[in-house]
Amino acid sequence: MRPLRAHGVSEEEDDAPMAEDRGRFPRSVFEEGEDPDPRFSLANERTFLAWIRTGLAFVAAGLAVEALQLPVTEWLRVTISVLLVLAGIAATAQAWLSWVRTERAMRHLAPLPSSGLKLPIAVLLGLVALAVVVGLLL
Amino acid sequence: MTSPADPGLQAERTSLAWRRTALSVAVGSLIGMRVLPQQLGPTGYAVAALGLLWSADLALTARRRYRDGSRLVRTGDGRDRRAVAAPTLARTAATAGVVAVSALVLVLVIALR
Repeated sequence: MRPLRAHGVSEEEDDAPMAEDRGRFPRSVFEEGEDPDPRFSLANERTFLAWIRTGLAFVAAGLAVEALQLPVTEWLRVTISVLLVLAGIAATAQAWLSWVRTERAMRHLAPLPSSGLKLPIAVLLGLVALAVVVGLLL
Repeated sequence: MTSPADPGLQAERTSLAWRRTALSVAVGSLIGMRVLPQQLGPTGYAVAALGLLWSADLALTARRRYRDGSRLVRTGDGRDRRAVAAPTLARTAATAGVVAVSALVLVLVIALR
């Protein structure tokens, strides 16, 4: 097994950041720290994609509520639809936000960040569930 | 025993994650092709076609990330720019954001009609 940090043990290669590293996008991530094992970056990329798919699913659900005319009062239906699409926007923002923060933390060997927009997303989904229950009972 | 080229199949799993995303977008676009024209008229077909294009782009990214990923895991050089496809990720997030905000506008337009 290779060491977990690709550059923890340097084998005669200079550890100073390469010149081309400095301009790497996004600066807030690559400005400082050391590149982690590429496998960790790939795992972070998969988490990013999972959030993207989650966001797309929320958006699709929000559109479906309107397109399929969920059988609840109109104002509640619109509310449910809007809340779901807002959750989709939040999940998409969370995808990028958490990717940046995780990649940065890994470059500094810092604890991985938590939360981000997870709480707002959970609140939105709770409201959706509540609205559906109320709508079906009305 | 020889070690596999990609222990833990990191590159393959990442490629499959891109492929799943491409598939979700393709399915969503095909459903959109049935649903959107009812709301938007011919524009609906154009929107759904754009979704299919995005899906094709994601599928191509899946191939590219497999190539880059397996090379990276083999050489273990995280300093290689390709370890982190930040511009690709930013583009993907931006596209998903545009889709989500457009959906919000669409829902509000339908509701106010």
